Amino acid sequence: MLRIFTRLLWALIAVAAAFAMATIARSRGEPVNSMWLVIAAVCTYLIGYRFYAGFLAARVMALDDQRATPAERLRDGHDYEPTNKWIVFGHHFAAIAGPGPLVGPTLAAQFGYLPGALWIIVGAVLAGAVQDFVVLFCSLRRDGKSLGQMAREEIGKTGGFAALITVLLIMVILLAVVALVIVNALKSSPWGTFTIAATMPIAIFMGLYLRYWRPGKVLECSGVGFVLIMASIFGGQAVSESATWAPWFTFSAIAIAGGLVVYGFLASALPVWLLLAPRGYLSTFVKLGVVLLLGLGVLTVHPTLQLPPLTRFIDGTGPIFAGKIFPFCFITIACGAISGFHALISSGTTPKMLAKETNARAVGYGSMLLESFVALMALIAAASLQPGVFFAVNSPAGIVGSTADAAVAKITSWGFPVTAPEMQQLATDVGEKTLFYRTGGAPSLALGMAHIFSFVGGSRGLIAFWYHFAIMFEVLFILTVLDAGTRVGRFMLQDLLAMKKTSSTPGMLATSAVIVAAWGYFLFQGVRDPLGGINSLWPLFGIANQLLATIALCVATTILIKMHGVKYLWVTLVPLAWLVVVTFTAGWQKIFSPLPDLGFLAQADKLAADPQTSATATLIFNARLDAAVCGVFLILVTVILIDSIRVWTGILSGTRDARLTETPFIQSELA
Amino acid sequence: MRKLLEVLRGIVDELSDQRAYRCHLAAHGAAHSAEEWRKFSDELYLAKSTRARCC
Repeated sequence: MLRIFTRLLWALIAVAAAFAMATIARSRGEPVNSMWLVIAAVCTYLIGYRFYAGFLAARVMALDDQRATPAERLRDGHDYEPTNKWIVFGHHFAAIAGPGPLVGPTLAAQFGYLPGALWIIVGAVLAGAVQDFVVLFCSLRRDGKSLGQMAREEIGKTGGFAALITVLLIMVILLAVVALVIVNALKSSPWGTFTIAATMPIAIFMGLYLRYWRPGKVLECSGVGFVLIMASIFGGQAVSESATWAPWFTFSAIAIAGGLVVYGFLASALPVWLLLAPRGYLSTFVKLGVVLLLGLGVLTVHPTLQLPPLTRFIDGTGPIFAGKIFPFCFITIACGAISGFHALISSGTTPKMLAKETNARAVGYGSMLLESFVALMALIAAASLQPGVFFAVNSPAGIVGSTADAAVAKITSWGFPVTAPEMQQLATDVGEKTLFYRTGGAPSLALGMAHIFSFVGGSRGLIAFWYHFAIMFEVLFILTVLDAGTRVGRFMLQDLLAMKKTSSTPGMLATSAVIVAAWGYFLFQGVRDPLGGINSLWPLFGIANQLLATIALCVATTILIKMHGVKYLWVTLVPLAWLVVVTFTAGWQKIFSPLPDLGFLAQADKLAADPQTSATATLIFNARLDAAVCGVFLILVTVILIDSIRVWTGILSGTRDARLTETPFIQSELA
Repeated sequence: MRKLLEVLRGIVDELSDQRAYRCHLAAHGAAHSAEEWRKFSDELYLAKSTRARCC
């Protein structure tokens, strides 16, 4: 009886998923409620988790709770420690959830909500969660080894080295692009700038509090920090309304970029306990709180999607970034569907904490589904804005014109009516001077979130507070990535140069300066770019991120071939093949497309044909540099692919050792 | 409900490094003190700051 009931329940979930998907896909012209997206996503996740992840766990990986995990065998009370499944889930989710799934879907909304939503749901179930789960399993069976170590052992030294270089380059582009998002959110915004500037002394105060005044009281300290940050949002409002103080906190994009570069260097060089650690705690709690709040907000308000399912920009003429829906929708969504960076987390701390092998399903597969859901919430928040407003906020002056009248005329001519007084009123409502040309996704996401939160909060008068709360959350979150990433980049460079991590101060300062200079260069390039920077940097980041996922899937495929021959090869080979096609197409187009808005080389050629100034010469050099970076990414991944295919054919033809490098079975005492 | 609260508390403990600190104290047979926290956090933060952050 129970069996029949269970089957009926799953049939019902499948029908609900299909019905919701059909409702979304069939809507033409009439507005769609966001709840259909939520229902489609949740039902698809449930089916994916129950059946596909169950199949992977039982048949492909043969997870075995009788086998002791690294956490049990190597338990040291430090890195290796058997931990409750849901606690590891929380830890893993907090580690994988970055700004990417918030910003990427917002930018991809230029194609309409449908392509992004479908890729976020389907991509996560069939590719992203599979990658995270399989890599976690591989690391779990290898004492928690890192992706780089596994690449070296399973594919070869070339693969391992290429993986290290790729990660370092991705880090540089990632830091530049997230810094650019901050710049575009804070330029000419005294309220936002004051709030974020105040987080620096607050973080230092928290660092001192935790180290000297109340050692170990992390929660108490984070609570104090949160109260102070809330106060700083109100302080920001007072500053923005003061004729005396507002000019002190009103900066141009270049000035904010300069400030971020200085900040990045200090964060890399200062002791971790003083700035990074306290801010990391605060950012983690705020991040989880806001994600929860956004989820509850969308469920409560279930806003109607104002953007159409598909826009005219699927043809590649979009104002936010150039390129057709294929491949650029997939490149832009990035972390919301599949992220190479997750493979670094799945082969980092997480495998050292799992008490049982079967817990890997909830942690590896399940947490990626949750991340995908966060991406969907971000897409809903952006798509619930009036389309004219969405494009007015996200389009650069280089595309829509440098005056408000020119911009609204251009955007209205695309079929998305908006007026200058309407934009001015919205800017006044949220406490800003203007909302035009705020590219990067963060401000439009903040607007969408503020609309939802102010509905839940019961007062539309609070929209200015919620807008700046959302900006504070996004920037705080991104700054954590920026400062931690700069430090990690420094350590990677020290590794590459065979320097000790605790090397002398000049060495540490020099490597910090190199990393900051590298991402700072791309940041300034983005700030000066007449097309807003996001047009060139975000696709570059997306390509790099997806190429890292390609490397992770190469390692996973090699291990699956060693385990089962060709039997379950498709599990990782299908997403791998898709990623190779998408990333190589996108990379090729970004380098060689004859369209100047899309292809870096065509852009350089077009600029070279114009009258030459020093600014033009810099833009030409930057376009060629971007082409070169993109080319290096493609070459590195081609090397790994060729190396992997050589290994696979060797194993399958019997000319190569197919022995697994798993640690031997040891009976678990926790089972 | 009690179990859910326990799990939530466990997650908060994990994210605020309280669980790791308790393990550290147990492994070293030490009691909580300002010095012990500083020793623990220096090691922990060094390890954390060398790990890649997700985007």
